[in-house]
Amino acid sequence: MPAIKIYQEEHIPSPRRKLWLSFSSNFVALIGLWVVGLLLLLTILGPFIAPYSPEFQDPNALLLPPSWDHLGSVSHFLGTDDLGRDIFSRLLHGAHLTFGMALAIVATALLTGFIIGSISGMMTGLKASILGHMLDSLLSIPSLLLAILVVAITGPGLENVFWAVGLALTPQFIRAIHQAVHDELQKEYVTAARLDGATSLQIFWHVVMPNVWEIIIIQTTLAISAAILDIAALGFLSLGAQAPSPEWGAMVGQGLDNLLTAPWAVTIPGLAILVSVLAINLVGDGLSAALTPIRS
Amino acid sequence: MGIFLIRRLNLFIATSIALIGVLFLATSLFPVSKTVALAGITSPSLAQAQQITDDYQLNSSELGQFIAYLKQRLSGNLGISTSSQHPVIDELAVQLPATIELITVASILALLLGVPLGVLSALSHNKLTQNSIMVITLTGYSIPVFWLGLTLILWFGIKLGWLPVSGQLNLLYQIKPVTGFMLIDTLISNSPYHISAFLDALKHIVMPAVTLAILPFTVVVRITRSAMTQVLSQSYIRAAEARGLPTRRIIMRHALPNALLPVLKQLGLMLGPFMSYAIIVEVIFAWPGVGSWLVSGIYQRDYTVIQGGILAVSLLIIFASILIEVIYTAVNPLSRKELYASH
Repeated sequence: MPAIKIYQEEHIPSPRRKLWLSFSSNFVALIGLWVVGLLLLLTILGPFIAPYSPEFQDPNALLLPPSWDHLGSVSHFLGTDDLGRDIFSRLLHGAHLTFGMALAIVATALLTGFIIGSISGMMTGLKASILGHMLDSLLSIPSLLLAILVVAITGPGLENVFWAVGLALTPQFIRAIHQAVHDELQKEYVTAARLDGATSLQIFWHVVMPNVWEIIIIQTTLAISAAILDIAALGFLSLGAQAPSPEWGAMVGQGLDNLLTAPWAVTIPGLAILVSVLAINLVGDGLSAALTPIRS
Repeated sequence: MGIFLIRRLNLFIATSIALIGVLFLATSLFPVSKTVALAGITSPSLAQAQQITDDYQLNSSELGQFIAYLKQRLSGNLGISTSSQHPVIDELAVQLPATIELITVASILALLLGVPLGVLSALSHNKLTQNSIMVITLTGYSIPVFWLGLTLILWFGIKLGWLPVSGQLNLLYQIKPVTGFMLIDTLISNSPYHISAFLDALKHIVMPAVTLAILPFTVVVRITRSAMTQVLSQSYIRAAEARGLPTRRIIMRHALPNALLPVLKQLGLMLGPFMSYAIIVEVIFAWPGVGSWLVSGIYQRDYTVIQGGILAVSLLIIFASILIEVIYTAVNPLSRKELYASH
């Protein structure tokens, strides 16, 4: 039965509500959002619900296949690696290393990029152009090479990954925000506000920024997925997280020795990386699809 | 256009100097003495030490040192490798063609498969097809490349045994390097087995190239699709339809050239991640290129190799991205508007 309209006036949803309606009508993106929420929970709660400690070695269960294999056992749900360590527990403990650290790196890069990008976006002329060229040269060094350089200077370790990936991501944020602010400043509504006597700071915060947030959100989701892949790749090459660490990429690298006899030690952490990156990309894709009709 | 080219050349020089500056700063931060980091000789004789001090002006100011460093690196003196004792530039000359070969094959694969698929998905109005293409490309975009490589090795290399899993060519074939590109070298070599050697080289390149091509492939499909959808809604396409042109002709002549422009631009932006992926793929498949050489350099703390490798790869990226930008501007008159009208 259709709802009866009592009042003449039409209810117009707020932009935020419109965004949510458009986002949630996309089934695939909604699944992605659920998975991201679950991952966030696991990042916080993972160490508490894991059945074993990540370094616990069970000598009676070396290279045990996952529980759905007829040789596997339920006590080690996803099997064990060559030292008898439970893969499921290691995945749970590794979630805050891979996923949590990606979030921390992106938050730092976002903050730095936001400050530098918005200042440079409001500037014009030579200073902005010099900054643009410097960013171009930083952007041309791929994150992996930057990481190799950082590792060469400081030695391998998880905290160096923070610097390497952060250094690689910050220019992207600066560039995206700079470009967005710069583009908005050319538009006529900004001139109108300026004619009304608004100061630069007021123009920046109340006039330009509301139109830039969306770009920042999309850029952030892209950056999180890139950061996860980078952290994992560095762990795999053992330039980042070191051997006993349950970081997901490092787990793939450690399982490499037994690829033929125990492929699950490589497959399962790899799938975990794939699922988390895919979920974030689905959310990002859904967000940008939902934002586009509002913007245009 | 002339002014534009000069500006891009300027940009190339400025970026390269900035890059060498970063490397110069890094050499003074390496945890070894500066002479070792610069020249790669661990225990130099008195004459060698004097030579290094002279070459790199170690007694002058920081700026003088940087200029000397710039001179040495630009004249091709990258020092000698600490682990192999060969000049880094010679090793680089052997490794670089293998990397370029792998990257070229992967890009060609990605473009040849990606563009038609993108066009097809833009033309289809079936919701299911569109959604599945979106999910498949997103999955391809999200796969960690090292894991994909290992999985391919496990299935096609070991379980099915179809393809070789490592290296560039079977050791049985002795092919004299002429160009450094194995696919070309085996074809032009005059050994009696050169056809079978070529086929062997082809077999070796399939898996690494496919692994590397996944990322650009998915990006190309997505960009082609969105650009194509946008172009197809333009009024000049409707005009072409109204004139009664066949669909194939509209797509090939009117829509596709315009839709390929954003693809070109995106390819330029993607070079960095693409190169990172290439390094990882080389390590997994033991491909004898710059990437695996660089990673073994970092394992052995071979500082001259690290500098040389980073310099070569970054210069390659800067050059390629500027080249793509120049091509983009040359084929797209609209982008030239920005050159003349400053805002």
